[in-house]
Amino acid sequence: MPSSRFPIPQGTLDMLILQILSLEPAHGYGIAQRLEQISKSVVRVNQGSLYPALHRLEQRGLLKADWKQSETGRDAKFYSLTRSGQKQLRSEKDSWVRLTEAVQLIFDEGAAQ
Amino acid sequence: MKRILNWFRLRRLEGDLNRELQYHIDGRVLDLVQSGLPEPEARRLAARELGGVTQVQEEVRDIWLSRWLRDFVYDLRFSARSFFRSPSFTATTVLSLALGIGATTALYSLIDQIVLRTLPVDHPERLVLIDWIGFQYAETFGTSNLMSYPICQDLQQKKDFFEGVLCRAATTISASTGGEPKLTAAELVSGNYFSLLGVRPALGRLLTTDDDQTPGSSPVVVLSYDFWKNQLGGAADIVGRKVLVNQYPMTVVGVAAPAFHGIDVGEVPSLWIPAVMSAQAIPGFTTMLDRRTRWMQIFGRLKQNVSLQQAQTGLQPWFKSMLDEDMRRTNVSRASAEQRRRFLASTLELTPAPQGHSVLRQGLSRPLWVLFVATAVLLALACLNVAGLFLARGSARHREISTRLALGASRGRIGRQLLADSVLLAFAGGLLGVVMAPIAVRALIAFLPHNTAANDLHANVDTHLLVFASLVSLATGFLAGSAPAFQAGRKSLDSSLRERGGTSSGGLLLRRGIVTAQIAFTLILVVAAGLFIRTLSGLLAKGPGFDTSSLISFGIKPALTGYSDDEANQLIRRISEEIRTSSSTRASAIARVQLLLGGAWNNSLTIQDRQRFVTDREVQLNAVTPGFFATLGARIVAGRDFNEHDALNAIAVGQSLPVSQSGRRVVIVNEAFVKRYFGGRNPLGALVAMGSGPGTKPDTEIIGVVENISYRSVREQWEQAYYPIGTEFSGSNFYVRFRGTPESAFRSIRAILRKADPALPITYFRTLDEQIDRSLNTEHMLAALSSSFGTLALLLSLVGLYGVMSFVVTQRTREIGIRLALGATRLSTIRLVVGDALVMIAVGTAIALPCVWALGRLVESQLYGVKPTDPVTILAATFVLCSTALGAALIPARRASAVNPTEALRFE
Repeated sequence: MPSSRFPIPQGTLDMLILQILSLEPAHGYGIAQRLEQISKSVVRVNQGSLYPALHRLEQRGLLKADWKQSETGRDAKFYSLTRSGQKQLRSEKDSWVRLTEAVQLIFDEGAAQ
Repeated sequence: MKRILNWFRLRRLEGDLNRELQYHIDGRVLDLVQSGLPEPEARRLAARELGGVTQVQEEVRDIWLSRWLRDFVYDLRFSARSFFRSPSFTATTVLSLALGIGATTALYSLIDQIVLRTLPVDHPERLVLIDWIGFQYAETFGTSNLMSYPICQDLQQKKDFFEGVLCRAATTISASTGGEPKLTAAELVSGNYFSLLGVRPALGRLLTTDDDQTPGSSPVVVLSYDFWKNQLGGAADIVGRKVLVNQYPMTVVGVAAPAFHGIDVGEVPSLWIPAVMSAQAIPGFTTMLDRRTRWMQIFGRLKQNVSLQQAQTGLQPWFKSMLDEDMRRTNVSRASAEQRRRFLASTLELTPAPQGHSVLRQGLSRPLWVLFVATAVLLALACLNVAGLFLARGSARHREISTRLALGASRGRIGRQLLADSVLLAFAGGLLGVVMAPIAVRALIAFLPHNTAANDLHANVDTHLLVFASLVSLATGFLAGSAPAFQAGRKSLDSSLRERGGTSSGGLLLRRGIVTAQIAFTLILVVAAGLFIRTLSGLLAKGPGFDTSSLISFGIKPALTGYSDDEANQLIRRISEEIRTSSSTRASAIARVQLLLGGAWNNSLTIQDRQRFVTDREVQLNAVTPGFFATLGARIVAGRDFNEHDALNAIAVGQSLPVSQSGRRVVIVNEAFVKRYFGGRNPLGALVAMGSGPGTKPDTEIIGVVENISYRSVREQWEQAYYPIGTEFSGSNFYVRFRGTPESAFRSIRAILRKADPALPITYFRTLDEQIDRSLNTEHMLAALSSSFGTLALLLSLVGLYGVMSFVVTQRTREIGIRLALGATRLSTIRLVVGDALVMIAVGTAIALPCVWALGRLVESQLYGVKPTDPVTILAATFVLCSTALGAALIPARRASAVNPTEALRFE
């Protein structure tokens, strides 16, 4: 595995899952694939932590799950966002933007001196 | 919550997760194979990327249930399995916990019902009892917290403080709904009673203020739901029908809601009558509007935002001015100076009354709390016993635990396992306890006083009780399990693994501590049992001061079936004559007030001896027929008994006719009266008069002195004065000394009464022995329960002591063997073991004695003839405990002395 990929920052996996599911419902493997594609192999997602995260979000009521036929014809568990999941995603995006801006500001300040 | 739900659908969740993960792996393998990897390689890679399927499953399960809960469930399962393997241990512990929890739950049930439960009315927390503290200078009808009806009307105007004020009085009436009249309890209430309490009708309407305007004008009643269902078969057309209340027709206007049983848990009324109908509901009662007649309890509902303190302070100015006004407008002005001072010093007091008013509660809450404390001690003992058993079992499981520790289990984990053990057992015990509790409650209720009024007590297990029992079980489980858990967490691992099998010292110090505490608790309970037994036997030995064998008492109330005074007197005379001449009667007499029922007729007397003075406290009065004392077997110690002349004179005085012959009204007093007011001098010939005002003329001559007999209760000894019965028979109590068996006497008296009037209301009918038992039922309850608690406690702690001593002997077998081999005698080994036990017993006793002293104040008011620190009782209890405990220690000690040195040394 290329060492240039860095591990996903703590606590952001939930947000990424919510973001992916906000586009369309997906099953676990689909989410794993999409994470892989979207992050363009820059971020390394430990697939082992994906399922606990999904179940935790389901337990918190941010996701709901249904068994539906997948593209391969087998039944798969499809996750989708609930209303409170959408709200959660919006607020997490918000705070993420604020955080990165703030970090950027601090970096800029350092560069200016 | 979700997690607990998850527990029940775990199987489905597991299946889903497996399918989900399988789908993931299959998809990944397919992709990898398509990208050119060979399948076995692809499978391995897919699994590795996930970080192991089992790990993922574990992590997800933790999310479902939370780690802690899941482990605890496993622990419980493990515990349950291990308990089924040792049934005798399980049975012993579950049973002792069940006894403790069952007893505590049963008493809590009674306390909850009698003392704690609030009325099923709107906002009971704002109800207050309004009471006159001080001297009311009024005639009293009823039990406690009584005031007059006009004061209630005054208070209803105090709208600044109260949303409303109601008054009520409990009474017994004869009710007839077509068939024979039956005595039943009724409540006389102000018109706003139901609306103020927020009670709704089940049928028709309830009483309103319109029903409570002019005396005698509103012959309406509201029935209780139970009376309507049980006595009238729930007739749908009941509204508008007539009920005869003391033969007076009253119209049923409605039925109250099923849950509402009045405001007294000990006396549930069958019907409610407006207070203005009091003259019809209480024959001979005509003083409803009199300010100097106190007969009702008054309750107010505080306005929102008005505190009890504000209301109480705010009412005082009005109350003081009312006192001043009363002084002028009523006959208070005739009172003595001392009485006027006490009258004017009175205050008005408000107390929270969310539970309503109950005579039963006033009498029982102390004894019930005492018993509750006793059961709590018993439960603590059972806890300690289980803890001791656990420790014993813990040392047997010692190697298992050490091995688990060595394999990497955390100490916390092991401790929790042990806690799971005890919590599981406690809940099993709690369950059994809850099953047993209703039986115990029923037995307890049988101890309580009962009369014509039904009480509202039941033995059902409700949610209240279940919550209580499970809380107690949980606490018990934690208490019993914490000692072994603590022990398991503390031991050093390598030392315990190095110990030889079977000789571990598993928490011996802790077990000794537990047994010591058990002995202390037991001694407390045994002393309590001793005190209550001595109280009861003391009271029984003292007796009422007269011979109760072959004595029957019964009461009749002709007024309740519409007899006029004259008719009633004729009837009573006829019955009295029939009974007197009956072959089974040795002697008979009549008294106006019944003995040993808790009630009395009181008044102050003015005495004209060498000087004139008023008794410093009220004297207990009664009116009796000639021969009353002879019938009871009470001795006349000086002077003479009443004769027929005295009775006739009394009638003459009553009817303002000229008094014939000797021409004096007469009275007989008891020895206590002579002792208090005559200093033991001969009182014959001295004059007295009822009342205390300056206008009272002492004109009644003391003609006799009778020995002290019990009036209100066996406990009490008071100054008494007896008048001859004149015209006022109303409510007569017969005392009949009979020949032969009680059954035949009952039969012949019943026949006489039925012949006189089949519908005559009989208020009670029992032997005096039974009457004494009934008047002592609280003492019976305390003695019976405390002695069974004491016995149980003794049993539990003996088992505990025996267990520890056996353990010690087994453990020291080698040492004892060596001692014996080196020449110690058998006796000295016995002394060795017994000495060990003696230390525990001595320390336990030393701990218990100060506790006995401290707890003494709690029981002091329940005792008679003994002090809570009575040395004889304490010594006897200590002796019983020590001797039985030594007996329990001797068995293992004898086993120790029988050790064979060679075998002991070989034993490994």
